[in-house]
Amino acid sequence: MTSPTTVQNSQVQNTQRKYSPLKEFWKSFKKQKAALVASIFIGLLIVIAIIGPYIAPYDPFEPNYNALLEGPSASHLAGTDEYGRDIFSRLIVGAKISLMVSFSAVFLGLILGTILGLISGYFGGWVDKIIMRSCDVLFSFPDLLLAIAIVALLGPGINNVIIAVMIFSVPSFARLVRGATLNAKENVYVEAAQSMGASHVRVLWKHIFPETISELIIFVTMRIGTAILAASGLSFLGLGASPEMPEWGVMLSSGRDYLGTSSHVVIMPGIAIFLTVLAFNLIGDGLRDVLDPKIKNN
Amino acid sequence: MPNSILKVENLKKSFQIAGGLFQKKQYVNAVIDVSFEIEEGTTFSLVGESGCGKSTTGRLITRLIAPTNGSIVVDGKEVATAKPSELRHLRQTVQMIFQDPYASLNPRMKVKELVGEPLEIHTKLSKVEREKLVLEMLEVVGLNAEHADRYAHEFSGGQRQRLGIARALITKPKLIIADEPVSALDVSIQSQILNLLKQLQQEYKISYLFISHDLSVVEHISHYIGVMYLGSIVEIGRKETIFNEPKHPYTQALIASVPIADPTLRKKKIVLTGDIPNPKNPPSGCTFHTRCPFASDICKQAIPEMRKINEEQSVACHFVN
Amino acid sequence: MPEHVLRVSDLETSFTRDNKEIKILRGVNFSIRKGEIVGLVGESGSGKSLTSLSIMQLFHGTTGKIVNGTIHFNGHDLTKMSESEIRKIRGKQMAMIFQEPMTSLNPVLKIGKQLMEAIEMHLKLPKNESKHHAIQMLKSVGIGRAEEIIYEYPHQLSGGMRQRVMIAMAMACHPNLLIADEPTTALDVTIQAQILELMKKLKEENETAILLITHDLGVVAEMCDRVVVMYAGQVVEEADVFELFASPKHPYTKGLIASVPKIGDNKEVLDSINGQVPSPQNMPNGCKFAPRCNQAMSICHQESPPTVKISATRQCSCWLYVKKDVEVNA
Repeated sequence: MTSPTTVQNSQVQNTQRKYSPLKEFWKSFKKQKAALVASIFIGLLIVIAIIGPYIAPYDPFEPNYNALLEGPSASHLAGTDEYGRDIFSRLIVGAKISLMVSFSAVFLGLILGTILGLISGYFGGWVDKIIMRSCDVLFSFPDLLLAIAIVALLGPGINNVIIAVMIFSVPSFARLVRGATLNAKENVYVEAAQSMGASHVRVLWKHIFPETISELIIFVTMRIGTAILAASGLSFLGLGASPEMPEWGVMLSSGRDYLGTSSHVVIMPGIAIFLTVLAFNLIGDGLRDVLDPKIKNN
Repeated sequence: MPNSILKVENLKKSFQIAGGLFQKKQYVNAVIDVSFEIEEGTTFSLVGESGCGKSTTGRLITRLIAPTNGSIVVDGKEVATAKPSELRHLRQTVQMIFQDPYASLNPRMKVKELVGEPLEIHTKLSKVEREKLVLEMLEVVGLNAEHADRYAHEFSGGQRQRLGIARALITKPKLIIADEPVSALDVSIQSQILNLLKQLQQEYKISYLFISHDLSVVEHISHYIGVMYLGSIVEIGRKETIFNEPKHPYTQALIASVPIADPTLRKKKIVLTGDIPNPKNPPSGCTFHTRCPFASDICKQAIPEMRKINEEQSVACHFVN
Repeated sequence: MPEHVLRVSDLETSFTRDNKEIKILRGVNFSIRKGEIVGLVGESGSGKSLTSLSIMQLFHGTTGKIVNGTIHFNGHDLTKMSESEIRKIRGKQMAMIFQEPMTSLNPVLKIGKQLMEAIEMHLKLPKNESKHHAIQMLKSVGIGRAEEIIYEYPHQLSGGMRQRVMIAMAMACHPNLLIADEPTTALDVTIQAQILELMKKLKEENETAILLITHDLGVVAEMCDRVVVMYAGQVVEEADVFELFASPKHPYTKGLIASVPKIGDNKEVLDSINGQVPSPQNMPNGCKFAPRCNQAMSICHQESPPTVKISATRQCSCWLYVKKDVEVNA
């Protein structure tokens, strides 16, 4: 038993394969069938959004007065609208606008909200109070109303829709990250890093931010669904994309006069919005089951 | 006279526990009056039960929290009043080892990042140079190079504590504050770590501030000991004198309470009655008088002063001369 | 023939994980007589706590399952009983206290209410009598202001007080067997000394048999009559407490005792055991301790050692003691 401690042959349990967080994640995500299907759908949608203009069977802007309000058929898969434009082509090209608007709005909201949340949770005190009270003020407006007010202030247009959707995303992100930061701050390794002399930026970036990532990923996917709805809603109200654009909300809006006679004009963009939002929410749910520490531990 | 690496005088820390805009402010004194000195290359232990302020003292010295009062001189520099930005020297001279090796290592970082982090903070070494030092340090603490690419959770408790030690040692600090470093470990592993700490002390001439509730461990590792009760040191001195001739009734009871792993030494204990008082509402006079078998009226009224009773021992008790 | 309160034979318990059965207890044997304190010692991963949960059959919400062996309690085999039969025994004839009393006390119920509930359920006393009995129990565990405590909530008490309440609750129905799983590990030394004294006193008064599960050899030496040492899900040595500390037989027991720093012996370097406890998924062949043993022979790596009876009171599972002139209980 008496042996000097340095000649320890301390072996790590070598049976385990090399540990890789990504592999672990994939192993459990594979089991979430609905989320898996939804991810494939979103993946396809993203590809379509990128190559849309090249694969669209018709020019989405070109009117065809010989084929007004035609129902779905072999030549027009989703029928045509009131100007005879091919709805399928317009949906394909419109995917790019919808995804771009929601992605960029959520992404900007994510960055700003995360920074505010980290600062608020880590430093506490009056900084925390100012940030959180401002968030409360924004929270007290209904999402869409706030967005309408912002666009009304800035003027209609796609870029202003992005800004509006971003602004109403920031408080949710800030609050989420603040909560995760408060938790992460309690870890002894955060104190260990401080005792080593790590700067605040380093502690936040290396030791606290990684703890918030899994919750952020879940929330971002959910939030993109909401953003698509909000952006379509604003366009539907005439505050977003201009009327000739093949944006899904615009298509809904301009088709609503023909709801009684040619319902496909409204139903087709409606389905597109519905499926996309559903898919993002399903992915979010699946990710939550895999990533959320509260669920994972059970 | 050997150099002192740490000199703490009249250290005090009170935390606000209640109060604000409309409430009366309430404070709890976690550390009331603590003074001691650590010589280069020696181990000084703070022992005491929960709530006695030993861990708070450790965190005050590393300036994870700021003291309310008193002076902390580390390697000749006053750090008690230094601003956070002026603490670079302190952070390099003093490193910490934590109780829970599971919690004090970031689970998302690989060993080479974990152990190399202090170098990244304090030096301008390149990644390659850092890794070289990490590998050397892993050897020193009894691990090896192939462990560098693993995550902390792949190790057992004892090995993780070795990682914690490697990380503390890598910047060649002069003082290591070890807060209950072995209390989360199994006995057979505990002795491995204690032997390692002792061996490193001899090799690198490090001083330890060892914080523990376990008297058997403290007796094994220390040169000097301070016994704390409710925020104050009640007895301080050389290890041998504290264990062989404890003078303060609390020290006596504490030592007698330790179960000895030898059934032939079973004895009727001086069992202290009652609970440790709540630090929010400490007793008057000598804080130990509520549990002390020898307490009399003076103990309830006057706080006993710390008196040197011989070259190697000081006691704060009205009845010790 | 002394009366055995509890006799555990060939107990094997396993968990299922990813559809694989992992055996944690691999044949545990020991027994406890009336009024005896038996220490169950081992490091984390030795299976000592799982042994107690197996005896109590507390596997709620886990995949734990007894796959083999018998647990005779007062002559009846617990492994053959239905859940409702065991529930009648649990708490009444056999009680348990845990390391952290907070987890076993309901945080939203007052102390008195929780105590009375246990008393009413098992002793079938009317309400006013059970309250009287509850106060009586609290006084017997050294809680002076019992009349006030029954109206307080668990979080208002200190750790030592909570453990006293737990002991009062466990002793309320005068059980034959008390299983104490690391009862003082979370407590300060001076409080630990109080609780240990209390357990001794209660044992003397009620002749309760106690199974004391601990990693602390000091507590064992102080409290126990007999000691069962566990390693990797098996009993490696069983002996009278004086014999065990005077002359440990199994190399693991020797190493364990030598690892403990003792006040008064100024050793420069502590003895220690190399390596660490193997994980259940990765058990070595032969003797489970062989990879860490400095006396290991070639046979140790190939075959599990039999249990060797060394004297009337002690046995040991180690190849070192397998000789022709010693009776082998394979």
